[in-house]
Amino acid sequence: MKLNSAKELADYRVSLADDGGPGKSQIIISTDATCCILQGSKQVAESFRAELEKRGLADQVALRLTGCLGFCEIEPMVILKDRDVLYQKVKPEDVPEIIDQTLLAGAPIERLLYKDPQSKTRFASPAALPFYQKQNRLILGMNDLIEPISIEDYIRAGGYSSLARALSEYEPEAVIAEVETSGLRGRGGGGFPTARKWTSGRKAESEDGIRYVICNADEGDPGAYMDRSVLEGNPHIVIEGMIIGAYAVGSTQGYVYVRAEYPLAVAHLNVALKQAEEYGLLGERILGSGHSFRIKVVKGAGAFVCGESTALMASIEGRVGRPRAKYVHTVEKGLHDRPSVLNNVETWANVTRIFAMGAAEYRKIGTEGSPGTKIFSLVGKINNTGLVEVPMGITLKEIIFDIGGGIPLNRKFKAVQTGGPSGGCIPDSLLDLPVDYDELTKVGSMMGSGGMIVMDEDTCMVDVARYFTQFLKGESCGKCVPCREGVKRMSEILERICAGEGHLEDLDILEEMGEYLKDSALCALGSTAANPVLTTLKYFRHEYESHISEHYCPSGVCKKLFRFEIDPEACTGCMACAKKCPVEAITGERKAPHRIDQEKCIKCGECYKACRFDAIRKARVPVAVG
Amino acid sequence: MAANNNGNGNGSKQIGSVMVVGAGIAGIQASMDLAESGFKVHLIEQSPSIGGAMTQLDKTFPTNDCSMCIVSPKLVEASRHTNIELHTYSEVQEISGSAGRFSVRIREKARSVDAEKCTGCGTCVATCPVRQVVRVQERFPLVENEITRQTDQIIASCGASRESLIMILQETTAAFNYLPEDALRTISARLEIPFSEVYGTASFYKGFSLEPKGKHIVQVCLGTACHVRGAPLVLEELERLLGIPDGKTTDDGLFTLETVNCLGACALGPIVVVDGEYHGNMTMGKVAKVVDTYAKKD
Repeated sequence: MKLNSAKELADYRVSLADDGGPGKSQIIISTDATCCILQGSKQVAESFRAELEKRGLADQVALRLTGCLGFCEIEPMVILKDRDVLYQKVKPEDVPEIIDQTLLAGAPIERLLYKDPQSKTRFASPAALPFYQKQNRLILGMNDLIEPISIEDYIRAGGYSSLARALSEYEPEAVIAEVETSGLRGRGGGGFPTARKWTSGRKAESEDGIRYVICNADEGDPGAYMDRSVLEGNPHIVIEGMIIGAYAVGSTQGYVYVRAEYPLAVAHLNVALKQAEEYGLLGERILGSGHSFRIKVVKGAGAFVCGESTALMASIEGRVGRPRAKYVHTVEKGLHDRPSVLNNVETWANVTRIFAMGAAEYRKIGTEGSPGTKIFSLVGKINNTGLVEVPMGITLKEIIFDIGGGIPLNRKFKAVQTGGPSGGCIPDSLLDLPVDYDELTKVGSMMGSGGMIVMDEDTCMVDVARYFTQFLKGESCGKCVPCREGVKRMSEILERICAGEGHLEDLDILEEMGEYLKDSALCALGSTAANPVLTTLKYFRHEYESHISEHYCPSGVCKKLFRFEIDPEACTGCMACAKKCPVEAITGERKAPHRIDQEKCIKCGECYKACRFDAIRKARVPVAVG
Repeated sequence: MAANNNGNGNGSKQIGSVMVVGAGIAGIQASMDLAESGFKVHLIEQSPSIGGAMTQLDKTFPTNDCSMCIVSPKLVEASRHTNIELHTYSEVQEISGSAGRFSVRIREKARSVDAEKCTGCGTCVATCPVRQVVRVQERFPLVENEITRQTDQIIASCGASRESLIMILQETTAAFNYLPEDALRTISARLEIPFSEVYGTASFYKGFSLEPKGKHIVQVCLGTACHVRGAPLVLEELERLLGIPDGKTTDDGLFTLETVNCLGACALGPIVVVDGEYHGNMTMGKVAKVVDTYAKKD
């Protein structure tokens, strides 16, 4: 079916509204995102389908299978919309009980309700969950309303009305002005004002008049997966934003560059593009306007550096993804030497939202300098792992302790890492920091694409710096010397420190090299590569010093610099640790203190985790005398 | 260096001669410095002309200076210098003797052109009726086989354009589970892209392998969240169990061990993926069981 005008779209939306059936009760299960599938949500959904069929309820109950709902920790979760109940970690065998007790009789099942790890209280209503309380799910919220590959659902939920509005009520320049009013900044990490980028793209000269609009979905930061979830859960919101952007810039051809590691996102995107074309929302003369636009999907091939604009465009051209010096910006000469406007997945989704709610309204969210919301993936040593969308300006403390529910096993918070390999580690003394572009940069980290990795007292900061540097060493494209050689040498120094062979002078060398890298590397990958090292040196210098002078890793991560010991006083001889040990290094009789054979021990920590009496400790390696 | 300086400060007369192998920019500069300080230099070059890779570059890093502007005066100077004797299209066959007194045997290949008279105008190359008499670029004959036939089909379905290169490489990987050399050569020929560039692209991206992979592919996620939750220990245990380091395949061809940067399923870390099936919350203890189930499938 082809929609030829904004009015036809609006009429079609009205005709759809009845289809859902207001009398039907709804069950929401997230089955279309990689992480919930892993936790078995498909089986739960299948069980619901079979069970409803069996009881002849299939007509009265609508099963909505959505994309990511954000709260990965408690998947598979089931929301019974009419009963206003959320169940966590549901297993297929729980399904009949849920239908009988809650769906039909209206009684909640206590054991399946979410239990807050801090207060131990149980919550029934999804809105009451502390995890969702401080969030403002401007973009992710739509995931709950739609099935990802159903354009009907998207249109019913108000989708493509932003596009209709932009095309019929705004001139291209006015579209840019509206984005300017909203104050939207690039969500890929740099925070460049989107309207300014679009203006340059519109004004830049193109010999044959061709301009490109590109969506950067090469989400390479380890620990960040918000772009994946948006593309998997709601691909149309990104497509709609891109069409609006193309109209503003005057482009007829768009690209989405997406990681090949995200097969489900690629599949959903392709289906969504096909649907949009069938409905006349992509292609020639969109919604009867003069604007024509098409989108092509290009799959990456596993290179972190391809998230950088020039490298990404080189990769689309079929070349090796190496960045170039940006004397001429890509908005002027980018892909195929033509003006190219590149924005991140989340930025495009925000564009759609701005035109749905109005720029002035949008601006009220967030802070003066950074309006709007930002999606973070809250991962690592945190109770409530998941995707959180918060207004800018919220403090780190609120995200980690109120939304995230604090650190598991009551361990002590040590640091939070933001901005991926280009970002830095923020210590607990800065937890009251409001999260926006400028504040994070001030403390030596950055917004980045939005990974937020929480670390506790068992995380070694030297090891974290070593991890990121090693990652970047492998991902450096090798074009410029500072990055290729500098990062490699820094990585060697850090390896040495973690092995207990470092010198105190190494710390000065690391700082000096870090500064050189900042000034001389060709692209952002290199110039920010030292951030993890520099911030950990700044805030956790004592850990480096302990590794070097005392040959001791206080967190018990660097294997050569600590050992496990059993406290004979505390050990009850329960054998729990001995059973877990993969190399049979623990010996001892039942009810008598055990011993660890240090020669055999591979320091995997299984015994440490298994012990319920705190009898296993991380201790210094005794220095041989003489 | 087959020369000695008598070291008394005023007797700067140099004796003996020096051989420099390879007339790239480094070899040329070294020869000129030596020649300037009075040594006789034999500059040996395998290809018919001197200059090496720098003559093929457009710009130099980091100043973006024109590469030919730097190298071409040196080419002329090297060929004119009375102390430098050029041996192009030549190869070192044998070196004997010891420091201070080397004997070198050089093979000068036949080129059927009088090098003294040739000005390098290139007219003969253009008019030669028989191709490849003068070696301009090495080409490998491509013998048609199952791999080239399949690759041809892939190229046809993706479109034989430069923009499709990465997609073609991805499809080829999907078909053979790695990139065989014959496939790369076919792609190079059909897309009219130099083989070196196809190879360069294939080796740049992590998603491509130039070696065949095992029957089961074991991937360990080393994303930050998995890292802080103990993924390095899991990797270590897998390396120990399978007896191979990251990136290698077991001798029986059953398992290939790989690492990936982030699969975006951080709530379940550490994660191990075998043949696309995810195993979450892995520990050193659980790994053996997972490997066993796949080993038993065969």
